[in-house]
Amino acid sequence: MIEFYHVYKQYIKNQFAISDISISIEKGEFIFLTGASGAGKSTFLKMIYKEEVPSRGQILINSMNLNLLPDNKLYKLRRDIGIVFQDFKLLENRTIYENVAIPLIARNEKKAIVDKMVINALTLVGLTHRRNYFPTHVSGGEQQRVAIARAIVGNPKIIIADEPTGNLDTELSINIIKIFERININGITVLIATHDNNILKLFPKRILRLDKGMLVSDIGIGGIS
Amino acid sequence: MNLLKTAIINSIINIMRNKVINILSLGIIAFTLLIFGIFNYLSLNIENFTQNFSKNIVAIFYFNEGVEKKLIDDLTKRLENNVLVDSVTYFSENQSEIQFTREFPELKYILNEFKSSPFPSSIELKFKEKKKNTKITSLIEEIGKLSIVESKQVNLDWAEKITTLSRFITIAGIFLSGILIFISIFIIFNIIKINIYYRKEEISILRLVGATDWYIRIPFLIEGGILGFFGSIFASIILFTLLKLIPIYARSVIELSKGVLSFDFIPTSIFIRLIILGTSIGFFSSLFSIRKFLKN
Repeated sequence: MIEFYHVYKQYIKNQFAISDISISIEKGEFIFLTGASGAGKSTFLKMIYKEEVPSRGQILINSMNLNLLPDNKLYKLRRDIGIVFQDFKLLENRTIYENVAIPLIARNEKKAIVDKMVINALTLVGLTHRRNYFPTHVSGGEQQRVAIARAIVGNPKIIIADEPTGNLDTELSINIIKIFERININGITVLIATHDNNILKLFPKRILRLDKGMLVSDIGIGGIS
Repeated sequence: MNLLKTAIINSIINIMRNKVINILSLGIIAFTLLIFGIFNYLSLNIENFTQNFSKNIVAIFYFNEGVEKKLIDDLTKRLENNVLVDSVTYFSENQSEIQFTREFPELKYILNEFKSSPFPSSIELKFKEKKKNTKITSLIEEIGKLSIVESKQVNLDWAEKITTLSRFITIAGIFLSGILIFISIFIIFNIIKINIYYRKEEISILRLVGATDWYIRIPFLIEGGILGFFGSIFASIILFTLLKLIPIYARSVIELSKGVLSFDFIPTSIFIRLIILGTSIGFFSSLFSIRKFLKN
């Protein structure tokens, strides 16, 4: 569960990147976060995994108050969250298998477990046949699927994706969102930032719209909530 | 255990990725430690020599011409009873002449010019003590002041000079090694800094996927330790080779040193010190670098 209580984020004096957002996201929800460039989508997402800290307000993730979470315990939070970036953030000198295995190796998992979980994640995104390729040798859509596999490999409770379809054409974008839907079926909360209206129309989900750092609408699947 | 194994493997991979810079730094660390090793060796060797040398502290007292033998015998007896003295040997004028002829046969013709022996009679005093002390010094002074004694010669002076030389070498070694060690720390510090920047993206990904701080830091620490350890191993190999080669190719140097530098004496403690120092330099330089450049 993700809870925001009167959260503000200010980088420059008198200018708020996030302004007085209070919101609650239940476990297993699928949410689109939308808004124009500079609306505060990325800042909102970064605050969930404490890449950014609020200037004011409280954020609770699975009842854990992020303001009280020390830096040396941050890894506990991040092991519960899988993150997908628009620019994929894959290591070019590692194979696809190695890239996907990173979260598990960082957790000191045994090789047999790493093998099993990486293959499961690559199967979910349909990339087992590419596991020995390097990221630069596969297409953009496939790179994004690798990034998704890396995000889900550690069985997170929440998946956050910042513009995951930003660099992809419509068909690939739809495929990517379908993968997120499959992930969501397993009870994982999915939060995707996008400004692609086609995606929003094609996939009727709860939509949070930001404008100049403020939450201007919160539309549920069946209408305004 | 698995984590440590992974960290060691990652460190080695990272070193191999930046081969040129790491080999260069390894060379500089090895050179630094070699200088430290050489000074350490010189210092230990001279110390060892002076310790052996002081076993034979010998004072020779030359008597005035025509001194009664009885007075010399009285002095000899008195000295033989002294607790500091190991042995007293009397050399008459003739014995001294024979000894001179034996040691310098080519100068024998000079003695032919003299009607009687030009050498004074003397006594040679060997002390029991291994190191110089005030009792020995005052006894030598006391005998030297006797009216029957013309002059004295003490090999203790030699020992003192060598001890001073040893001290000088130790201080110079500490000073020079200190500067070079500082340079080594600076180099490893910066190499780790470069490696951190080189792997900035990887570090940020690791943080985002839930790696602990130590999971990220340990490979850098091991990297520093490996550079220091292998630097010291290379320095030890070079030092050992040099010490083995010098007696073969530089015999004249050994003869010139008159036994002060014995190249047979190669204490293992030097190599142990080198390895401990090298690994510590690597480890701590890396730690300083991590603390400065690997913040959350």
